[in-house]
Amino acid sequence: MTDPILEVEGLSVDYEVGAGRFHALTDVSFEMRPGEVVGIVGETGCGKSTLGHAIPRLLPVPPARVVGGAIRFQGTDLLQVPMWKIPMVRGTGIGMIFQEPINSLNPAFRIYDQLAEAVRIRLLRESGRAPSFHAGPTGFDYSRRPSPKPAEVLSHPFVPATVVERAAPVRRSPDVEREVLEYLKLVRINDPETILRLHPHELSGGMRQRVMIAMALSEKPTLLIADEPTSALDVTIQAQVLTLMKELMEEVRTSILFISHDLGVIAEMADEVGVMYAGRLVEFGPVADVFERPGHPYTKALLRSVPSRYKADGPLASLPGSVPNLSRLPTGCPFHPRCAIARPECAADPGPALAPVPSSPSSGHRAACRFPEEVAGLP
Amino acid sequence: MGRSFSGLVIFVLKRLVQLIPVVFGVATITFIFTRLAVRDPCAIWYPKAKPAVVQGCIHTFGLDQPIPTQFVNYLGQLLRGDWGNAPPSLGSAPVLPTILSQFPATLELVLTSLFLMVVIGIPLGVVAANANGRIADHLVRIFYLSGWATPTYLAAVLLAIAVGPVLGLPVSSATPPPYPTPTHFSLIDAALTLNPSNVAYAAAHLALPAVALAFLNMGIATRMTRSSMLEVLPLDYVKTARMKGLTQAWVLYKHALRNSLITTVTVLGITAGGLLSGTVVIESIFSWPGIGKYAYQAIVGYNFPGTVGVVIVFAVGVVVANLIADVLYGILDPRVEWR
Repeated sequence: MTDPILEVEGLSVDYEVGAGRFHALTDVSFEMRPGEVVGIVGETGCGKSTLGHAIPRLLPVPPARVVGGAIRFQGTDLLQVPMWKIPMVRGTGIGMIFQEPINSLNPAFRIYDQLAEAVRIRLLRESGRAPSFHAGPTGFDYSRRPSPKPAEVLSHPFVPATVVERAAPVRRSPDVEREVLEYLKLVRINDPETILRLHPHELSGGMRQRVMIAMALSEKPTLLIADEPTSALDVTIQAQVLTLMKELMEEVRTSILFISHDLGVIAEMADEVGVMYAGRLVEFGPVADVFERPGHPYTKALLRSVPSRYKADGPLASLPGSVPNLSRLPTGCPFHPRCAIARPECAADPGPALAPVPSSPSSGHRAACRFPEEVAGLP
Repeated sequence: MGRSFSGLVIFVLKRLVQLIPVVFGVATITFIFTRLAVRDPCAIWYPKAKPAVVQGCIHTFGLDQPIPTQFVNYLGQLLRGDWGNAPPSLGSAPVLPTILSQFPATLELVLTSLFLMVVIGIPLGVVAANANGRIADHLVRIFYLSGWATPTYLAAVLLAIAVGPVLGLPVSSATPPPYPTPTHFSLIDAALTLNPSNVAYAAAHLALPAVALAFLNMGIATRMTRSSMLEVLPLDYVKTARMKGLTQAWVLYKHALRNSLITTVTVLGITAGGLLSGTVVIESIFSWPGIGKYAYQAIVGYNFPGTVGVVIVFAVGVVVANLIADVLYGILDPRVEWR
């Protein structure tokens, strides 16, 4: 097997707010292999975004504090890298797409300037003129299928380029501009020459998210973190962006850490999935195994509460109780107060941190539950 | 109108048209108050003169006519470009040419202060926001609060009697410089002589008044930059900039500061009015040959045409400063339309 590009090991993050201390992440461990898409799923406040922000060290250092663990990106523990060197990892090493496309583009700059900045950073690093944490695109395949696709036909410019050239007095280098246009076409933006001159507020939410995706991809990241990239979009746009991302995953084979609260999206996009609850990773494994034979009662309950048009019998299933307060986690397994199969020892001791699930032993399917074989018997 | 260049031109023209009622109002108020305050200025201008001389003076200046008539006559003079003369006791100098020849010195002082506020005050605000809650933040806050708590006259006097002599900087610009002054901007005039010692002379004379004028308002620039940076820094686009792989300095000074400046520039436009009023005190203390000093002398010398004239110039200055701030605001924030 190939070496993992990302190994998160025992990562624990606390937030110190006033006198309180919130355990946002507790002992999170998983790994990603090149080209793999790993989904992270969980309720609001379970620590998904904290995990996504902790990996490129984007958490604001007070209030957040990494209290333990390691984040090994291509073998280097990012937690040991001095903060001033971290920018060298970002962009070309780890790219990120955020939740709110409304806020994630700088309102003061034209789309061209924002994209060109990303392209320039990559070009400088590739040519060795800027220091880079990870030189060269190893383990990264940007080959594109040669056959023309409908999207490329659609991306034919409607406005002649010469008109735009005269209208927009922006300094451009031909190399950078060519790449910027290429990436805008990659994310299926019609008429990219016009988009270049616009400011973010002149674009719709879906367009902005496409620009964000183009911007992240234009640096050819080894690992792309997508932090709920579609949650803030309305449903039709969400479907478009997801279709686009799915197509791009085949064209641009990069590793993606896909964070979402939507089980359907994860099932569609990811190869492996991690389920989070109260700052812990409670289950991890191939999507098919986790969703068909969950090894943790929480995963089972989550799957049961997904509305389905085939299950029209009675009200939507819900999980009793509520998410525990992260500053006062229950002793033992954090899920035991809401768990149908909990036994007295569950309250005493946290139980295994991700142990192989007996029902699917070979696939790397692991769950943090003492009695995984009993989960199948739950309704 | 959108954001086209013609939209900008129309916006500026509209604002300049709005200047007319402002000037009219300022002229009316100042004129009426100067006339109401002192009914018989000729008696003050000629304290020990014969009644016939005083009577002649009253007749010459039209003071025997009713105030509305005097005002209409004065407005007519204003429009013709004849802003009256200083009283004979002050040398009868014509007001408008005097103000015009002294205005560049004041503009130079104000621009230098603004420059100091921008190049020192704004980066300090960025430093403070970046070190939010840590020692650098506290030091910057002590600095700007002390600036804010110091009245202009106190800062100026302290600089003139304590700092200037210690550093060997001149505290008075009363003597004319040793080089010709065609533009009345001391630094430009000095540079035109192509003599470095003249430039040093001009800069040394400019240093203390400019610092005194900037000190109070620098706090405002720092504070505004700090608070708007603190609003901008947690936003997603700052995270986007970080995730592109930009270094901390690029993230702060390009992506975050560019957006924080939108608020700072508006406030700086408002402070420009404060800077103009500050020149009255600063120029008098440092004998800076500008219209601030002229305003002071005009008021204490019962130079009514001079007082009204200089107040009109100040009013125009404030309006133009705010107009410049509004235009900069629109240039910095692409979401603004010229309306």
